[in-house]
Amino acid sequence: MNRKNYIYILGCTCLLVLFSCKHGEGEYHSLNDKIEGESKKYHGTSLSSETYLDDIKTIEITEGEHTFLIPERKSQIKSFACIECHTKPVEELKSKDAKKAHWDISLSHADSNTMNCATCHNGNDMNNLNTLTGNMVDFNSSYILCSQCHSTQFEDWKGGAHGKRIGGWAPPRASFTCVNCHNPHSPSFETRWPSRLNTEQIEEPHEGLEH
Amino acid sequence: MSDNKKWYSLDLNFKKKKESSESCGCGKTSGGCNSHNKEMSDDAFLEAAVNASIGGEVKKDGFEQVFDVKMDRRTAFKKLTASLLIGAGAVSTSCSVSTGEDAKEKAQIDWEEQFKGNYKLMTDEEKSGTVERLMRSYELRTGKNISMTAENAKEDVLFGYAFNISKCQGYMDCVNACIEENNQDRNSEMQYIRIHEMKDGEGFKFNEADDNYYHEVPAEGHFYMGTQCFHCDNPPCVEVCPVQATWREDDGLVVIDYDWCVGCRYCMAACPYDGRRFNWSKPEVPEKEINKNQHYLGNRMRKKGVMEKCTFCVQRSRKGQNPACVEACPTGARIFGNLLDPNSTIRWVLENKKVFRLKEDLGTEPKFWYFMD
Repeated sequence: MNRKNYIYILGCTCLLVLFSCKHGEGEYHSLNDKIEGESKKYHGTSLSSETYLDDIKTIEITEGEHTFLIPERKSQIKSFACIECHTKPVEELKSKDAKKAHWDISLSHADSNTMNCATCHNGNDMNNLNTLTGNMVDFNSSYILCSQCHSTQFEDWKGGAHGKRIGGWAPPRASFTCVNCHNPHSPSFETRWPSRLNTEQIEEPHEGLEH
Repeated sequence: MSDNKKWYSLDLNFKKKKESSESCGCGKTSGGCNSHNKEMSDDAFLEAAVNASIGGEVKKDGFEQVFDVKMDRRTAFKKLTASLLIGAGAVSTSCSVSTGEDAKEKAQIDWEEQFKGNYKLMTDEEKSGTVERLMRSYELRTGKNISMTAENAKEDVLFGYAFNISKCQGYMDCVNACIEENNQDRNSEMQYIRIHEMKDGEGFKFNEADDNYYHEVPAEGHFYMGTQCFHCDNPPCVEVCPVQATWREDDGLVVIDYDWCVGCRYCMAACPYDGRRFNWSKPEVPEKEINKNQHYLGNRMRKKGVMEKCTFCVQRSRKGQNPACVEACPTGARIFGNLLDPNSTIRWVLENKKVFRLKEDLGTEPKFWYFMD
């Protein structure tokens, strides 16, 4: 009799434990598990950010395993093509009677041991840039020049951790290229004033709340 | 039409200009009314099964949510008075010969809005119904049009956010964009985003951070970090809401039904990240500055005494756009995207950078990560 009762109580407890330990959070233990699990059945979304890129001319680039869009550059350069003016050697153009265009550019990028104009520009082919080893690089692909020294930034940029995404979050991915934010002749940023006063945390009214 | 509504309808002799394509009240446009008999019995069976297993609580909707609950006398009187006032207004406008069609329609809208259900429980038709009423009501009050949607969460989307502390310079462009995008009150200093100026080398000391800086930035020896609603996957604010006016959507956004919120601020107390804001006064935005692209759960005009917070700009993100803060940030410190897309930039950041979240040990699972270069 007693034994029967015991078994009965034990059985009930087992059942209770079985049904009461149900968690409300669903099938995953952590957010990382959830992201990993749910993305296995990812089929892509119906959303696209193509419409938000309509007014920007872009080109597609593939670097390593990343393929994405960057803004086209040559049409944005005010006086491209360069050889329309650069018909003579630079030294001759610097003379007093010649027309002035971008005479005020000074290089404040690394130091003079590391960089001068010829590090990126080719005096014999002004319409294109050149790498350290003298290979030709198109103005649209200027990021290749930057990546020669700034390799960690380049890795982050390819993955999307450095640089500014444009369009929207939905595919296709479009990102600013180096020169959209950094002036290659003076790549660091000046300090500036914030665009507004920061939040004033509101002191909550305390009347009637004395303890 | 009135058969499938979940609140009492009051017919003010106002002829609504609605297409009568759904004449049978069952929402079916083809096959006639009888074609769904089988379906209805299935529904009935499901309802009975649900009732038997978890009680009738979850099925309450519309006026039942208002009336069919236990409440104390004070609450009951409050609700009755509010409803009576609206009812009286409706009756007086409908009976009066002098009031115009517009006033009658306005009264009708007010009546239906008063007795609508919780947005969380609404069907898609009910959602578009309330959105249409709100747009019409705005038009009647101001003579101007707004566009409001009730877009649901898209499948295969879980929103996540990453913030690069090395890149943020404290420019505050994000805050300006947020205020404009989300129709935040222009008088009070209530903002969804806070930018904290912290000393280098001392870790995150929020109590010592300067939240009210105004000097040239970035200041020497300081770094900047922004906080806002982190859209936790296990949100404590949702747990504590006594009226279920806030919840987590399928795409991970934690949202608020401003019309269901009673302003108790439990969620504000429960949030470990200071992510929620309260309207101490009626939010006011100059008419010409109002962002007219609105979402029911997002940037539509709020009222006094309800909670609000960052929604990752639901009105933008559900269309594939980046939130306003991401778009405004000139440094690229803010990264937003779909956590379920293995090729997204946010996933690359999570997998390749050393990321962390605030108060991870609480188990709230915020979907807002910080990282450094």
